Amino acid sequence: MTALLTLENISVRGRRLPRLDGVNLQLRPGERVALLGPSGAGKSTLLAVANGLLEPDQGQVLWHGEPRAFGARARRRQQRRIGMLWQDLRLIEELTVQQNLNAGRLGAWGWPRALLNLLVPLETQACRELLLRLDLEPGLLVEPVATLSGGQRQRVALARLLRQEPELLLADEPLASLDPRLADGLLALLLREGAAPRALLLSLHRPDLLAGFDRVIGLRGGQLAFDMPRSALTPATLADLYVDATGAAGAS
Amino acid sequence: MKPAAPLLMLLPAAVLLPLLLLLPQALHGGGWELVGQFAAAALQPSLDPVVLQSLLRGLAITCAVALVGWAVSLVLGVLLGLASARVVWQSLSGRCWPADLLARLLALPRSIHELIWGLLLLQLIGLQPAVAVASIAIPYGTLVARVVRDLLDALPRASLAALLSAGTPAPTALLTTLGPPLLPGLLSYGGYRLECALRSATLLGVFGLGGLGNDLLLSLQSLQFHELWSGLWLLLAVMLPLEALIARLRRHWSMPARLSLGPQTQHRSVGRRGRQMLVLLGSLLLLAWGAARWLQIDPTQLLHWQPLPPLGQGGWQEALALPWPSLIVETLLLTLTAAALAVGAGPLLLLLVAPWRPGRALLQLGWMLGRLWPPPLTALLLLFVLKPGLLPAALALGFHNLGILGRLLREACSAADPAPEQALSSSGSGPRLALLYGRFSRVAGSYLAYGAYRSDVILRETVVVGLVGGTGLGSQLRESLSGFAWQQIGLLLVAYALLTLVGEDLSDRSRRQLLGA
Repeated sequence: MTALLTLENISVRGRRLPRLDGVNLQLRPGERVALLGPSGAGKSTLLAVANGLLEPDQGQVLWHGEPRAFGARARRRQQRRIGMLWQDLRLIEELTVQQNLNAGRLGAWGWPRALLNLLVPLETQACRELLLRLDLEPGLLVEPVATLSGGQRQRVALARLLRQEPELLLADEPLASLDPRLADGLLALLLREGAAPRALLLSLHRPDLLAGFDRVIGLRGGQLAFDMPRSALTPATLADLYVDATGAAGAS
Repeated sequence: MKPAAPLLMLLPAAVLLPLLLLLPQALHGGGWELVGQFAAAALQPSLDPVVLQSLLRGLAITCAVALVGWAVSLVLGVLLGLASARVVWQSLSGRCWPADLLARLLALPRSIHELIWGLLLLQLIGLQPAVAVASIAIPYGTLVARVVRDLLDALPRASLAALLSAGTPAPTALLTTLGPPLLPGLLSYGGYRLECALRSATLLGVFGLGGLGNDLLLSLQSLQFHELWSGLWLLLAVMLPLEALIARLRRHWSMPARLSLGPQTQHRSVGRRGRQMLVLLGSLLLLAWGAARWLQIDPTQLLHWQPLPPLGQGGWQEALALPWPSLIVETLLLTLTAAALAVGAGPLLLLLVAPWRPGRALLQLGWMLGRLWPPPLTALLLLFVLKPGLLPAALALGFHNLGILGRLLREACSAADPAPEQALSSSGSGPRLALLYGRFSRVAGSYLAYGAYRSDVILRETVVVGLVGGTGLGSQLRESLSGFAWQQIGLLLVAYALLTLVGEDLSDRSRRQLLGA
């Protein structure tokens, strides 16, 4: 099976040290991968390269085995298949839940539908199903996003992402600012939605939440520290990842 | 079915459709050659030293008039603002009604455009340097007074009450508690008024009150496009640094932008900021004093009225017999068309050029020219190809105000959080849709609220393009002014003032609604 996403020898220069330094990575459909590493290890940079937001200084990004397209249009067609869940969610506060969900379709829609979405409810059935799937009241569709609770907003953001019908889900520390109950709920949903035929790549700062993942990647100083099945991960490997970064052997 | 915020922003642009349909009928066929020459001359301004010298002198007069008019309006505005603030009367005498009465009286001079003041004073006093200054200072002063009054009355009263109850004399208590918070608001608004004053002074020049405007008009009328462009570029060379400087100072003192959006930046220490502001204000007032001396302004000139022609017999009947309904309808139609054009075209154009960097720069340049350019000159230019009437007037007013609104829109967009737009474009939506959904959603409310305020200004400005004819009260007023028909002028001014006051009220209401939503 060809990989969904292949990163070949990716380097991104930073101000002093490289932010990514010769990273190689393959993601296959059905893989749910956790990306671990201390702050500044390059996790966000790696995700930005993966979703096409950032152009690497060196190396090649392959999508379904093909190099990234150069033309703006073809490039956007590829990006449509890669969905990103942002830590700050990036919902459009002034619009309703339904309009926000449909904003996930903007890449596929032309102007007429994009404008109509701002006037009347579009594709209500699909939006309802998504909300139900994520354990949200379908009645929320008409509510402005600004009125939702924190947990509801998380799920609406995830629903918008799924509305995009992506093959690959990326998420940059999605659980960082959540209380434990919300974090567990969101992680369970992400793992469910990221299952085959999709793939999931998620950066994480809590090694205690790795249970549902198939594979774990450690990133340190812009380089791959390890890339292994979760079952092979030992506490010692994990400890090494964080200890080295501080440069102090005594870090607990 | 209620259009969502970003769509609401595009709706006014629907006025473009009927305008485009009307355009072929409004063309009179000739004149394209002249327009071509005009456009070509933009890159070849005249560099003749004699021309430049005269233009520079005109520019100096315009700047001096603007500065002096602005300074007088600031002083006048603070005094009148204090005199019409409820909090001042309350603490000095325990009564509020004199404040409200004065505020209501001040609405009248405020509702009359500086150009009408200029033309009126010109008829009464003759061509004196003081006339141009006074016609800026009177309406601006009363505008500043309103802002000062609103600022003062919105300030929290707790510390004032504390000082008063401790036995501090009322004037001292007022100065201590209300002075420092008033200064930033006043300066922020004042800076913006200085830009306006420069535009007004240029405009007054076009109508013969001296300065660069006059040179521009004469060059246009004699088809000396190269000289015209020299003047325009010179004006731009003053306006642009002024705008940049004011924006910079605003940021330096972390004042809210006019369309303040997003989180407020941190405040610097009040003491240092306050001292810097006072120094700047003081030096500007000194500079204005120097400019007034150079212009040889003598305030007593304003007291020497020329003998007026006697009131004509039967003038009132004639005045009442004017076609009032059609005059008012024309004025309103012109206002609405120009306002819709100005409010709607900005977002539309920004969307069109969104993916294209040089296009965005070109748009900035176009908006800059729109701000700078007095609308009557645009109207005259349009008359080369269009028949006189509502269309050239609306286009001219719309273009000018588009320049002002467009700049605000751009500022608001760059101040708004880029994250939602980035999220959309990384999910594969095109740059235009990402801009529409991601950023316009955020700025729509305040942009439209400012547009409502601007429509009210446009109503007042309709008089400026009266020379094109068929534009309602403005055209009639110019006719009546040149015929010394004082009864007509009186009634027209009343009609204008009433319309403006109603418009002000309507735009206030819609603004509150837009910002509340």
